[in-house]
Amino acid sequence: MLGLLEKDLRLTLTRKQTLVIFFVLALIMGMSMDGSFIVAYLTMLATILAVGTISYDEFDNGFAFLMTLPFSRKTYVTEKYLFSLLLAAAAWCVGAILFCIGSGIRHDAASLTDELPMLLAILPVMYLTAAIMIPLQLKYGAEKSRIVLLIFFGVIAILVFGSKRIFEGSNALAELTKALEGTSSAVVLLALVAGCALITFVSYLWSARIMEKKEF
Amino acid sequence: MVKLDNLVKTYGDFRLDLSLEIPDGTVTGIVGKNGAGKSTTIKAILGLIRPDAGRVTINGKDAMKLTGAEKKSIGAALSDSGFSAYLRIRDIICILRKTYPTFDEAFFRDCCSAQGLPLDKQIKDFSTGMRAKLRVLIALSHGAELLIMDEPTAGLDVEARNDILDLLRQYLTENDRRSILLTSHISSDLESLCDDIYLIHDGKIVLHEDTDTILSHYAILKVDEDTYETLDKSYILSTKKEPFGYACFTNEKQFYAENYPGIVIASGGIDDLILMMTGGN
Repeated sequence: MLGLLEKDLRLTLTRKQTLVIFFVLALIMGMSMDGSFIVAYLTMLATILAVGTISYDEFDNGFAFLMTLPFSRKTYVTEKYLFSLLLAAAAWCVGAILFCIGSGIRHDAASLTDELPMLLAILPVMYLTAAIMIPLQLKYGAEKSRIVLLIFFGVIAILVFGSKRIFEGSNALAELTKALEGTSSAVVLLALVAGCALITFVSYLWSARIMEKKEF
Repeated sequence: MVKLDNLVKTYGDFRLDLSLEIPDGTVTGIVGKNGAGKSTTIKAILGLIRPDAGRVTINGKDAMKLTGAEKKSIGAALSDSGFSAYLRIRDIICILRKTYPTFDEAFFRDCCSAQGLPLDKQIKDFSTGMRAKLRVLIALSHGAELLIMDEPTAGLDVEARNDILDLLRQYLTENDRRSILLTSHISSDLESLCDDIYLIHDGKIVLHEDTDTILSHYAILKVDEDTYETLDKSYILSTKKEPFGYACFTNEKQFYAENYPGIVIASGGIDDLILMMTGGN
């Protein structure tokens, strides 16, 4: 597992130019924009970068050799989820620091306390990107998974739009919002983390199954 | 010990169907034409493909179910796969250090230096030969008990090939339980290294013989049409029509040398074995 983490870290660091561009953009946004967008932006990019290491593994038939190394297929999958989490968490920390510095410069200490629950919610929500992308990339490969991902988000957009139309006129949505308003942000955060953890676990099981069936 | 027991794997029209054994302490070669099933056999042994039928075991355990710890005793060099080409050898050293507790970094660095492999260059900028050398060195770097190598010397010049073969010989002398399974198109590599040879054709083993026996007992008889008619064909394995008459492949060179003193007998090597056993009539 440690060898795999080392490999993925080194593969990610080969994209130094991309990392520098992302970081500079993050710095500019962190200093100029209000809100926690910067944290979400960096966490999302880190997750995509982490999942992107699967493309490097896949490139030039690299999977075949990797699977001769001393770890099981399940360990490979576990490492991908762990690496994505570590990279996302690291990016979240950097984003949070930039956000704090930005708030400090703008003498906007109030926004920090207001946005803390929102900031904490970013990590599990953004990590869902990995939970969706890892199994897709393992099953369909780097190229096809992009198409599948587009279809996936298309379906979600249709569902959201469709449900909006359904709930139009009914006050169920308003009642739900009203009910949530009374709930403390800690409970909402906890429920969100639990939901994301459940989706990630299902995604992990699916990925492990895909890898077990895969031939190289 | 590696054992393939009635392994069957089908890809469309191609069907691999074979059994073979690689005892501890031996060097076994697999030869055959392109598409004969050599790489598929290697992949099955490494647990990279799932057999349709039959069993592949390494030390009694299913090759698909080997644990990480059990895989540590295997070193693999595949012809078309390796670490990401975006990595440098310096990166690979750090990865191997964390992957294999027995990784011999000093040996690996020395070999890379001796083979002219730069530590700070991305593998994508390596030549084909450099990549082949690196794959072999990685497989050798952690004292594996079993080496499985698919075309390890492909793309190498004579000097580099000899260096790699010397490294393999040295690897064998360090521990008499060590085994190597390799495929190669270069017959001289196999003749100088292997204890026994499997010849695969169209997914089936058409011959399994000790290398010494192949070199000492196998031969090509070159005979004209009249001699061919009277020739005792009991020990003729394969015949091919030639402009001068017939080329007959035999596994009893001595018999024909004693009984037919007038015919031309050319010693058979592995190249002849492949040509005559897979292309003759």
